[in-house]
Amino acid sequence: MRCHIVPPHMLERIARDADDPALRARARRTLALTSAQFTERRMTAAGAPSPSEDFVPDRTINDAGHREELPGRTVRAEGAPATGDQTADRAYDWLGATFDFFETAFRRNSIDGAGLKMVSTVHYGDKYDNAFWNGEQMVYGDGDGTVFTDFTGPLDVTGHELTHGVTQYTANLEYYGQSGALNESMSDVFGSLIKQWHLAQTADRADWLIGQGLLAPGVDGVALRSMKEPGTAYDDPRLGKDPQPAHMDHYVDTHSDNGGVHINSGIPNHAFYLAATGIGGNAWEKAGRVWYDTLTGGSLATDVGFAGFAVATVQAATRLYGAEGVETKAVSKAWAGVGVPLEANG
Amino acid sequence: MRVSVVRSGGFAGLERRAEADSISDPMLSRLVGRVDLKSVPPPGRIPDQFLYEIDIDGDRTTVGEAQLHGALRELVHHVLGRAR
Repeated sequence: MRCHIVPPHMLERIARDADDPALRARARRTLALTSAQFTERRMTAAGAPSPSEDFVPDRTINDAGHREELPGRTVRAEGAPATGDQTADRAYDWLGATFDFFETAFRRNSIDGAGLKMVSTVHYGDKYDNAFWNGEQMVYGDGDGTVFTDFTGPLDVTGHELTHGVTQYTANLEYYGQSGALNESMSDVFGSLIKQWHLAQTADRADWLIGQGLLAPGVDGVALRSMKEPGTAYDDPRLGKDPQPAHMDHYVDTHSDNGGVHINSGIPNHAFYLAATGIGGNAWEKAGRVWYDTLTGGSLATDVGFAGFAVATVQAATRLYGAEGVETKAVSKAWAGVGVPLEANG
Repeated sequence: MRVSVVRSGGFAGLERRAEADSISDPMLSRLVGRVDLKSVPPPGRIPDQFLYEIDIDGDRTTVGEAQLHGALRELVHHVLGRAR
């Protein structure tokens, strides 16, 4: 286990003010890990940026050389030419697209809102079938090649992992049970929105799939999750059937997977889909703004449940579009559509 | 002696499970003999990491992939095999 003897306010000060960059980085890492594993941590952004400031990404791509060790050897830093390794170069490009999305859509400067360096490690492990956010960076496996392809492939996978970082620095939703499923759902929602923005797709034209292209040829499935039709993404002898519910009537009680965070995320995912398609147009502009304001607005408890989150989205929509706005009504209707009640005490 | 391993979590959220029994698996007892489930740290809440629930004759623990090292890692990979 990591040591948490140094109190967070001291770490914050070291992370900000220490002369030694290595010491600053170490303090930041400790804060990030503390934030990922424990609750009630919020990093304060370093002052509001001016409205016209052009944010610039600071990317580093590392190569783990098929070992399970982080961070690996740096193969591409910000502004450096392409490496020729498709995987490393794609990871670099997708980080850039994700950074540009958060800047353009929400005026957010990187993961923490204050220009945090974005670090990804590729070629992690031997045929490793996963990608994750470890509290300070993104990690990608190559996939086994028979069920999964390279996890750097789909843009929404990078969007999903980077959004875990955004959530960590904002609402810091506890990764267990309903708040954990909301944490997962935030990553799917913004992962999908990044892809829709990149492809310039309106809500009615988007596929609303997560991980489309990640399943190898021959696997019976279109993706890993479907926000449009949770539970229908795959049905294959090697994978089983997509277990996601689209409605509270089918909520799955389990202790596995941190209380089913990758299963029950289907419910808030589908609520977002209903809200976005109910409003129409580009999903990131209105529904996305409502969800972003909810996530980053500072009003959510770290262990908020679906009902509390739903109420907060309606409040955010009301602030943006008024209580009688069609957008606000679409958000309320979306939660009703997945069986989440909107009582204020939720 | 029976050992079961359930892998959950991961970006894909796919569950993998496998069981082994020392009656048909002579290596199992030797692997289990080197494992101390009580020394395993809690898994932490790292988004999208794999979680492994390990049951050795009714003694259970859950370990995150970042903490899966040494003898326990060998045991988990032995039971799950190359099943992914």
